[in-house]
Amino acid sequence: MRLSAIRAKLTAICGSRAVLHSKEDLLLYEYDAGLARARPDFVVFPSTTEQVAAVVALASESGLPVVARGAGTGLSGGAIPRSGGIVLAFARMNRILEVDVANQRAVVQPGVVNLELSEHVRPLGFYFAPDPSSQKACTIGGNVAENSGGPHTLASGVTVNHVTGLEVVLADGRIVELGGKSSEAAGYDLTGFFVGSEGTLGITTKIMVKLTRVPEHVSTLLAIYNDVRDAGNTVVEITSAGITPAALEMMDGWTLRAVEAAAHAGYPQDAAAVLLIELEGLRETVDEQVLAVEAACARQNAREVRIAQNDAERQRLWYGRKNAFAAIGRISPSYYTQDGVIPRTRIPQTLEHIQQVAARYSLTIGNVFHAGDGNLHPLILFDDRSPAETEKSIQAGKEILQYCISVGGSLTGEHGVGIEKRDLMPMLFSDEELQVMRRLREALNPRGTLNPEKLIPGARTCMEIRTPQFPGVVS
Amino acid sequence: MIAAEHKLHAAPAEVATPAGESEAAEILRECSRFKTAVVPCGSGLHQHIGLAPQPPFVALKSERLTQVEYYDPGDLTIGVGAGMTLRELDALVKPHGQWLPVLAFPDRASGGNATIGGLLATAMHGPLKHAFGGVREFCIGVRFVTGDGMRAKGGGRVVKNVAGYDLMKLLIGSYGTLGVITSASFKLFPRPRQTATFVCRFPGLQNAMAVRDALMASPLAPLALEIISPGAAALLHGHADDAGWRVLLRASGSDQQLARYRDHLGNAASAELTGEDEAAAWSLLENFESALPPDAVVVAVSCPLSDVAQVLRSAERAALERKISWAGIGRACTGSLLIAFLGGSRPEQSISAVHALRASAPPSANAVIRRCPDSLKAGIALWQLREGELEIMRTFKNALDPAWILNRGRYFV
Ligand SMILES: Cc1cc2nc3c(=O)[nH]c(=O)nc-3n(C[C@H](O)[C@H](O)[C@H](O)COP(=O)(O)OP(=O)(O)OC[C@H]3O[C@@H](n4cnc5c(N)ncnc54)[C@H](O)[C@@H]3O)c2cc1C
Repeated sequence: MRLSAIRAKLTAICGSRAVLHSKEDLLLYEYDAGLARARPDFVVFPSTTEQVAAVVALASESGLPVVARGAGTGLSGGAIPRSGGIVLAFARMNRILEVDVANQRAVVQPGVVNLELSEHVRPLGFYFAPDPSSQKACTIGGNVAENSGGPHTLASGVTVNHVTGLEVVLADGRIVELGGKSSEAAGYDLTGFFVGSEGTLGITTKIMVKLTRVPEHVSTLLAIYNDVRDAGNTVVEITSAGITPAALEMMDGWTLRAVEAAAHAGYPQDAAAVLLIELEGLRETVDEQVLAVEAACARQNAREVRIAQNDAERQRLWYGRKNAFAAIGRISPSYYTQDGVIPRTRIPQTLEHIQQVAARYSLTIGNVFHAGDGNLHPLILFDDRSPAETEKSIQAGKEILQYCISVGGSLTGEHGVGIEKRDLMPMLFSDEELQVMRRLREALNPRGTLNPEKLIPGARTCMEIRTPQFPGVVS
Repeated sequence: MIAAEHKLHAAPAEVATPAGESEAAEILRECSRFKTAVVPCGSGLHQHIGLAPQPPFVALKSERLTQVEYYDPGDLTIGVGAGMTLRELDALVKPHGQWLPVLAFPDRASGGNATIGGLLATAMHGPLKHAFGGVREFCIGVRFVTGDGMRAKGGGRVVKNVAGYDLMKLLIGSYGTLGVITSASFKLFPRPRQTATFVCRFPGLQNAMAVRDALMASPLAPLALEIISPGAAALLHGHADDAGWRVLLRASGSDQQLARYRDHLGNAASAELTGEDEAAAWSLLENFESALPPDAVVVAVSCPLSDVAQVLRSAERAALERKISWAGIGRACTGSLLIAFLGGSRPEQSISAVHALRASAPPSANAVIRRCPDSLKAGIALWQLREGELEIMRTFKNALDPAWILNRGRYFV
């Protein structure tokens, strides 16, 4: 099939206004929030599950890759059509289909923006717990594909802990329902397995999520330190005291100053680090925990602990954190957000190591991260107009990840593997372990059409089958 | 007291006790080559679930895989061999004020004998599921060997990790049909320092459900909330003198926090248990399945929250119509119920009651048979699965156990 024939079929499935194919139109879909770039042959905007199924089936017949796209805020290149093909953009499948308060569930289409769901159900006393910092833009379909987390996942878990059912379109265009509104399904936990599979096993067309009750009371603290090690040690001090804060975020001194310049959150300019700590639950519980956390901070030499006195102060403390990435964007032409995980007891020495890497590569690296669960986000500043500098920052990122792994950690805590880390997977997994993952992928994605070249190195891609089987296709 | 444990249905042709992952892999490669069936075994606690695996088979026991791989209390994570029991794990973490919230009293409940491998394979849970969810929510890593002897790994040692497929989810609840689990890592939780249990008794189910609804509409977050049918209460307490429904609510926290629960429940609570009384009450519940007579037919029902009452009523009606007794307990706020039909000398009546329960329960409910006399298993579907899902499950089974040697004939695949 030639591309023109495919275009005609896509138009027949979704309508001409739902298919983009001109160079200029495709430009926007060449990138996400990560570093990789590639142009699709088509961008299609389905409105229904059936349209998705028809497009996926067509892609499978013609050996064309299909890459789903939510808001394109992914940081690991997941939505990049590395080998061309069809981008399935979910902008039109953005409806909240059902809010079922009695069962504490909502059913949404994949294109629903994360924060919109929370705002929609908040008047009913509920919210959707996973809260990536990108929640104003990112979609729940993207959250499911990446198993996204956020500041509040320390206590409430990541996306997979809040999804009980999915409707997915399989590689051959079959539509299946997995799980449902119950908390358990019989048989294998396919819903759980699909979450985090980065669009390589199927395309999500409907999501059943848990809704969480808005807590009775919330208290937010800012602990200020002169030594970054003390801040790191406080994390363990708090969890060892039997307290699981709702959020426990850390920013180092460099990031603080950058953020303050842009966001005016009232952060101290001369500190070496701050911890942003949020406690929530019953009023009595929170009141007791605030005292215990204050004491823990004091034991680790916090020079000051500020407690937000009202909602406005609370919002202000969070404003800086939530807009940290944007703030960095103002002072550097480009930055590379890394995502590594370490056991939380290793925070102090890992931050030290990161600064050594920065010095060795003559790069500036800031740190703003989910300290409570040891999920680091080193921000590596560079100038993307210089290929040498880009390469240098990628190398520095890799060294940091190597260190994370050496202390028992992982390559990625929430941003996913995508293209970015696919070739780093052997740092964490043996050949045999990767082979098992490849088998599972090929079991459901036998022709490699679903999000090829992502997640697992050496997985079959449709490129291999494209040429011999469908000689007519050019891309 | 530890109740009688259920062991393998048939004598294994051979027993293998690998000392580590590579030995397990070697055994499985060999078995796979000769298409010899393999039954992975922990302590044998849950071998009665599903159909009897077809002999001849090799029993692959995890009893030598009991190592602690790492435990740093500051990280609240632990990695252990698949053969370690829940009770042993609890003894390791308890001194540090931590727990793995599967069983509240693993030292008393027979479930404490369950191995880590068995816990994952069966997705076993108890009343603590209310607050902590199932083991899927806190298992952060797993190592296993596929049917054809490949050494596989999912996750790792850290609490947040999205590198690669989430194989923990696939293995949890797979009843040993996809791989032999050799070790696993978990997120631990701070152990509550003070708890109290409020006992509520009601003449009817409706009153019990009203208490549940009020709790769910409140900001209270108890450790457990269990509903107990009159028959279950009689069975657990060994006498039938009080016919009502009960709700047991266990909360943790300081005096002030516990006072909130007391205030909220008001007159609804007829007793408050602490210390030994509290432990005794919850261990009875955690032991519910093993306290049932051997001929009981037990189903695990999972349903949306708004269907809990209807499921319990369906069970009651199914038993009444067949003039048999029944007992039900469960997590009323997560929709996870355990229902036992006690047909006594007429076990076929119990099976008929399960059919009736399935027919009258809402379509969103799912009833899996956990226990049933072997002679009757052929007459009823043990699992309720939809065709679309089943196909995917078979695909995964083919991918991980190409010779179909693991628990052959036992599960749905
Ligand atoms: C400033 C900033 C802050 C961020 N903060 C966080 C954070 O705190 N925590 C966090 O976890 N992430 C964070 N991210 C990363 C990103 O926002 C998340 O990964 C998010 O879930 C991606 O959603 P999206 O809709 O943009 O998905 P996209 O980027 O469009 O796609 C991501 C992946 O999902 C797949 N996908 C999308 N929709 C579907 C579907 N319907 N079916 C199958 N596959 C699909 C795509 O193919 C791709 O592989 C941040 C990103 C930015 C730019």
